[in-house]
Amino acid sequence: MRKIIELKNVSKAFDGQTVLDNVSLDIYDNEFLTLLGPSGCGKTTTLRIIAGFESPDSGSLSFLGEDILSLPPHRRNVNTVFQRYALFPHLNVFENIAFPLREKKVPQDEIRGKVDEMLRLVALTGFEKRSVTSLSGGQQQRVAIARALISRPKVLLLDEPLAALDLKLRKDMQQELKNIQKATGITFVFVTHDQEEALSMSDTVVVMSEGRIQQIGTPIDIYNEPRNAFVADFIGESNILSGIMLQDRLVRFSGRDFPCVDEGFARNEPVDVVIRPEDVVIVPKGQLRGTVTSVTFLGVHYEIIVDIGGFKWMIQTTGFADVGDEIGIYVDPENIHIMKKSEYSGLFGDYSSFSNEFDELSDAESEAEP
Amino acid sequence: MKTSAKIYTALIMLFLFAPIAILLIFSFNAAKSLSVFSGFSLYWYRELFRDAETLGAVRNTLVLALSAAVLSTAMGTAAAVGIFRLRSKVLRAAYDTVTNIPMINPDIITGISLMLMFVFVGRLFGAATSLNFWTMLIAHITFCLPYVILQVLPKLQQMDASLPEAAMDLGCTPFRAFLKVEIPEIMPGIVTGLIMAFTLSLDDFVISYFTAGNGFQTLPIRIYNMTKKTVTPKMYALSTIIFFTILALLIMTNLIDTGPGVEKQEKKERSAASKRRTKLAFGIGAVLAVGMAAVLFLGAPKKPVLNVYNWGEYISDGSEDSFDVLQGFEDWYLANYGHEVEVNYTTFASNEDMYAKLSSGAVSYDVIVPSDYMIARMREEGMLLPLDFDNIPNYQYIGESFKNLYYDPDNLYSVPYTYNFTGIIYDANRVDEADTGDWDLLWNPKYAGQILQFNNSRDAFGTAQYKLGLDVNSDDPADWQAALAALKEQQPLVKSYVMDEVYNMMESGEAAVCTYYAGDYFIMADAQAPGVELSFYAPERTNYFVDAFCIPTCCQNKELAEAFINYMLEYEPAVANAEYICYGCPNRLVYEDGAYAEDMGEEAMEILYPNLDDFGEKYEQFAFRNLSPAMLGTINTLWEELKIN
Ligand SMILES: Nc1ncnc2c1ncn2[C@@H]1O[C@H](COP(=O)(O)OP(=O)(O)O)[C@@H](O)[C@H]1O
Ligand SMILES: [Mg+2]
Repeated sequence: MRKIIELKNVSKAFDGQTVLDNVSLDIYDNEFLTLLGPSGCGKTTTLRIIAGFESPDSGSLSFLGEDILSLPPHRRNVNTVFQRYALFPHLNVFENIAFPLREKKVPQDEIRGKVDEMLRLVALTGFEKRSVTSLSGGQQQRVAIARALISRPKVLLLDEPLAALDLKLRKDMQQELKNIQKATGITFVFVTHDQEEALSMSDTVVVMSEGRIQQIGTPIDIYNEPRNAFVADFIGESNILSGIMLQDRLVRFSGRDFPCVDEGFARNEPVDVVIRPEDVVIVPKGQLRGTVTSVTFLGVHYEIIVDIGGFKWMIQTTGFADVGDEIGIYVDPENIHIMKKSEYSGLFGDYSSFSNEFDELSDAESEAEP
Repeated sequence: MKTSAKIYTALIMLFLFAPIAILLIFSFNAAKSLSVFSGFSLYWYRELFRDAETLGAVRNTLVLALSAAVLSTAMGTAAAVGIFRLRSKVLRAAYDTVTNIPMINPDIITGISLMLMFVFVGRLFGAATSLNFWTMLIAHITFCLPYVILQVLPKLQQMDASLPEAAMDLGCTPFRAFLKVEIPEIMPGIVTGLIMAFTLSLDDFVISYFTAGNGFQTLPIRIYNMTKKTVTPKMYALSTIIFFTILALLIMTNLIDTGPGVEKQEKKERSAASKRRTKLAFGIGAVLAVGMAAVLFLGAPKKPVLNVYNWGEYISDGSEDSFDVLQGFEDWYLANYGHEVEVNYTTFASNEDMYAKLSSGAVSYDVIVPSDYMIARMREEGMLLPLDFDNIPNYQYIGESFKNLYYDPDNLYSVPYTYNFTGIIYDANRVDEADTGDWDLLWNPKYAGQILQFNNSRDAFGTAQYKLGLDVNSDDPADWQAALAALKEQQPLVKSYVMDEVYNMMESGEAAVCTYYAGDYFIMADAQAPGVELSFYAPERTNYFVDAFCIPTCCQNKELAEAFINYMLEYEPAVANAEYICYGCPNRLVYEDGAYAEDMGEEAMEILYPNLDDFGEKYEQFAFRNLSPAMLGTINTLWEELKIN
């Protein structure tokens, strides 16, 4: 695969506040790459550096091997779909899509053909004359994509393009974007803070936190082999326990020794142990025992919180247990994932304060804030 | 609650629009009066379109407003973009505040400071006149700019910041992105700014007044300068036209600016509106462009120019079927000297205004028409040039009584133009003939509450001094104390102290007795309401004044100025002026002329030309002269004392 974009040791600070910290990233031809991370971690800034709207304080950026840091945005073979679409309100759908071609003085006939083709691609045939302000969010989204794709850039940058859509539409658009990417063969650099979206759409996921890249990998790698507690927690649910690697394939946590499949750690090295909630099996006796403190029915399965020696585990199971029951649990050695200690150790993976209601409450609060 | 709210709204509306409604109605009045509507007529509109001076002022105002609007919009938009692009918040706030200062600054300060600057810079480059069209244009741009910025900046701030980035992302250079995306987005602000600048410039008086130069006079200044006489009803017609023009512009502005924060449901309409406003903007732009082009084509040709500075409404200007004296001079000059000249005619409202303008050094005029006491002062201060009477042979027609007067004892600096004097005007239907004849009428208790007195100290004290037989130019404070006592005695009888209001109060019969100038009596008598029978007499002792042509030291073309003065003494222009102004004329060709006497009528001739043989004597004895500043201060204190009671 050909490398199209290469960021090397890129750093950027705003008002003395580091926003990107030594970011290095390779982007390949024809791939669907997603920048995933919580809000404020520097995703947009990374995109803006690639597009040319910001320049890094240090580091390099090359495009097909050539340094492009000095090129202004309009000379870069990269197009952007903006977070709020940035359609031109004074132009209709046709003219919005035709805009890049008009700038290049492409003949009218050719413009018509290309715009038609794009309208077909984004399923908006017949909307040419409509004013963009009269379109729904999803339709505006498609116009923005068509406009960004019409001049066939090598790379399309999409900054949280689906964030403003409702759930149902978002699912449809995810599929559609994926299809468009496949159909055009253009490299997509997609930004989202939604891990599910990232896992379902991407060829490569780049997990970011606080301006640093935490892990780069395929969705399966990222999920199964998270590199640290941050990634493990951010991607799906995880029970993260502090343990000690006694020797290859044997780890000790919660006061017991567990066989596992990881090797290559030093003897008695302190480590983080990740166990996914769906990998915990409820058994009559089990390796560990604890008391059920909360049970939530979620349709496909129950989410059960069990207090085991003061540490609260999350278990996802189709079997039922009642609050107050004492249960045993079993984890298959295959499902015990060992990670090196990191700055995130101890910050995540304990469900002590967990409560669905509390979660919703705090979500609502944070949404209410501007 | 609801009805009271309605009534309240109706009252507010009435309060706001009653003056304009009255203006509108009286612009269609067949007669001159403001108190009586004597029938519908388009007479004043016709008159308006025959008045070359006023139309010239309208043209000037439009040229200025258009140029100022277009330039300030271009500059203001650029400035707004500049401020918007500033990275530093502190700097941005600072610029924002600084650009707002001219807006909250009193006009008068802006006006004076601009004038000072122009004069200063003018001196630096040794220019004879530093005020002209261009300085006025700069002044207007200065005060329009903040308004444009204030309209454009919020539009930039409301604009989605990613729009220009999107444009650049799609292949536009920053400049193209500005043209193709930002300009259309902020267009409503630009158009609103343009229209605001236009209307602001159109009706500015204060700043224009200070920065106006030779001959370039805008409409508000011209109207202001008419107040020596009375504002003619054709100005009502003009005001009506202006009101509706501005109303139309205002409605257009409101159509254009649908305002920020449009809801989703309205989006459809908004896009239609945006198309409409783009078209409208282009429409307005086109009209302005054509206007500008037309104006440039009409630009002044290069001929020798004579700058004349005269009182408002103080020359026969072709209106109401009169002879156009200025045109007459241009024709006469061409016929006699074989080449074209152009008269640049500007007006002033008071001697003091004229004096201030001249001593600012920012303008130069070739001919001015000050009053006697001001001639004395300017002569003493060396502001006048001696005339070459070889170039003014028509001086021979000036009556002997009008020569060797105190203000120009050796007849070196002035050629008298008009004279006038104070008298008493009364309603013969209410005032007993036996009570008339001298100043005592103003003190007659029979007419208590129907008497009007001057609302300026010099004239008011004058009436008392004439009545008591005192010297009006006395420097003995006791004389003034005596006059004050008389005025205090009169006070209970006085309905009010008035200046320009005197016309309407007398015409309508609201008051029965007043004291005012003879020439103005004719205007009142012309417009008197039914049942009012105005009459006039001049007491033996009264104030006379003379206005005369002079040439100031800043004159640029003295021979041409003298030719002009000479022409003004020719039969045709002199008669036309005398008939137009209705003041006394010191020119024998006029007052000995049968046709003139017939036109004026017996009564007017008797009043204006009682016995000219002793004019000079009476003038020297009774006319107001310049008082020392100390004396003026004393009078003012006494006057305050009277007015406080
Ligand atoms: N132009 C800017 N000036 C100052 N701070 C900025 C600017 N742009 C972004 N930031 C800050 O940089 C951090 C990262 O921003 P961003 O890249 O937009 O994050 P993300 O897209 O991942 O949410 C945030 O804390 C944000 O406040
Ligand atoms: Mg972002």
